[in-house]
Amino acid sequence: MLRTEFKVSGQDHEPVIHVENLVKRYRRGEAAAVDGLSFDVRPGEFFALLGPNGAGKTTTISILTTTLAMTSGTVSIGGYDLDRQAKNVRQSIGIIFQNPSLDLNLTAEENIRFHVCLYGIYGYRPTYGLMPRSYRDKVMELAEVLGITKEIFKPVKTFSGGMKRKLEIIRSLMHDPKILFLDEPTTGLDAVGRASLWDYLQKVHREKKTTIFLTTHYIEEAESADRICIVNHGKMLFSGSPESMKSLMVGNYLLLDAEDRDSLRGELAGFGPEMMEDGRLKVRFSGSTPQNILSQIKTPLSFMRLHEPTLEEAYIDLVSSGQEEEEAA
Amino acid sequence: MKVSLQREFNASLTIAARDVLRYIRDWKTSLLFSFFFPIAFLGILGGTIGQNLSAGLGYDYMQFALLGMVANLLVQFTMMGVTSLIEERENGFTQEIFVSPVSRYSILIGKIIGGSFAGAVALMALFVVAFAMGIPLSLVDIGRILLVCPIVFLLGGAFGVLLCGIFGSSPKGVDRATIMVMFPQMFLSGALIPVKNSTGMLGVLVHLMPATYLVDLLRGVFYQGSPVYGQMILYNPIFDLMISIALAVAFLVAGAHLFVRSERNR
Repeated sequence: MLRTEFKVSGQDHEPVIHVENLVKRYRRGEAAAVDGLSFDVRPGEFFALLGPNGAGKTTTISILTTTLAMTSGTVSIGGYDLDRQAKNVRQSIGIIFQNPSLDLNLTAEENIRFHVCLYGIYGYRPTYGLMPRSYRDKVMELAEVLGITKEIFKPVKTFSGGMKRKLEIIRSLMHDPKILFLDEPTTGLDAVGRASLWDYLQKVHREKKTTIFLTTHYIEEAESADRICIVNHGKMLFSGSPESMKSLMVGNYLLLDAEDRDSLRGELAGFGPEMMEDGRLKVRFSGSTPQNILSQIKTPLSFMRLHEPTLEEAYIDLVSSGQEEEEAA
Repeated sequence: MKVSLQREFNASLTIAARDVLRYIRDWKTSLLFSFFFPIAFLGILGGTIGQNLSAGLGYDYMQFALLGMVANLLVQFTMMGVTSLIEERENGFTQEIFVSPVSRYSILIGKIIGGSFAGAVALMALFVVAFAMGIPLSLVDIGRILLVCPIVFLLGGAFGVLLCGIFGSSPKGVDRATIMVMFPQMFLSGALIPVKNSTGMLGVLVHLMPATYLVDLLRGVFYQGSPVYGQMILYNPIFDLMISIALAVAFLVAGAHLFVRSERNR
């Protein structure tokens, strides 16, 4: 698990993303890539869209970020209709793509300058020195945050993968977007780079209250989400908090064992917690507490471990059971 | 409305400035590329034709070829500057451009202006090659060429937009289409080989090539008042200009429409 501090702010507000019955059929595709997806994201929420390859995550994010037309459905982003007010939608969002979107031959400052000029925040000037003071101050402030004060005027191709990603995030926040879309942002980063990037994102989310919409293959990155949505074959399998998914799919349990396993099994059967044998005795304690169960056991234990399920386990359970149901059907 | 227009203009300027900056950053390769075509087509191909086949033409063949190459290379460089949008679309900064809150027309106009810069450098390279080869060229002659250049850049850029609209779904497709468009223009527009007496199917093809009208316009303005004017000019320069503007507008509107549609309706 990477983080636990992300918390939603302003849950009572109108949704900042509203998706209703979204359908996308590619011209050459037989089945719908997105098939009737509906969900809401509230302001300040950290929302994660998860699913296996080909589930429809990138298609969904491409539609929400206006780069792909939907087949049918209703979508509003930041209060703007996606079809009729695409330009306003683009102004309201920041995007971190799967593939880096920096110009590697330009310096970090030039990449930022081109972004702010494209978004109409400042008029274009050919050099940093000719840009307004407010811009120069902001760039230096950001360079300090990133720890690249010396490198800000160097070509981006000299930066590490993690640093490039951070620069992209900083750049995407320059126009104060309401929502930050992150499409598998840590792909290709090493563990240290990923942890550092998430530290930074956490800070951004906490301080700027930016709504975060994440798709990722690293399920543990979504542990700290306020809400997750699992999709497969374009359909929604689950929507709710990571905690509710974990308890729904896996639940907490105790792993127990004893030299006299028969005696332990008999005892547990006597006071009735849900139990299964999986190498050791796996005892669920939903509706009870580990303390309650342990206090009733008299047989000397040779092994005891409290298992808290991870989101990844719950995710695998959910996706696998969905696939089994499909195969059976 | 004014703010919105200002913003769109600023976006076009930003996109163009980025292309110019990239050209300058990568100046060695860019300059090599800008000089390669003038040397290859005017210096080598034009020079060889001039030495071996131009006897009895009644006018200076190398000057004739220079004007043809100005029109063709400017079209080619501007067109390639615009179609680079497709090559870069899946990766790099172009993704960022496509999700910015600016009109697709502003993006395309920015690319045309950016692409024109590479064309302008190629024009300088052509002048250098012309001086090196001793092709007669006065300051007034250069002024006449520069006068026609904006419409050449515009039609070249609009041609690029049309290719993006038709073949924009794949970078390879655009590359191949650019080559397939470039060579027939080069040989059928009268750039290097006179086409005044072309007849039959070739005559029809000559008049279907957009570059034909640019080459003819350039020569029409260049040779205005000269005794050789009638020997090589196909149409009145006003007619060439009108056709060129009409084609540029049509290519730009149709290309932008197809491009926006193909971009989102996959």
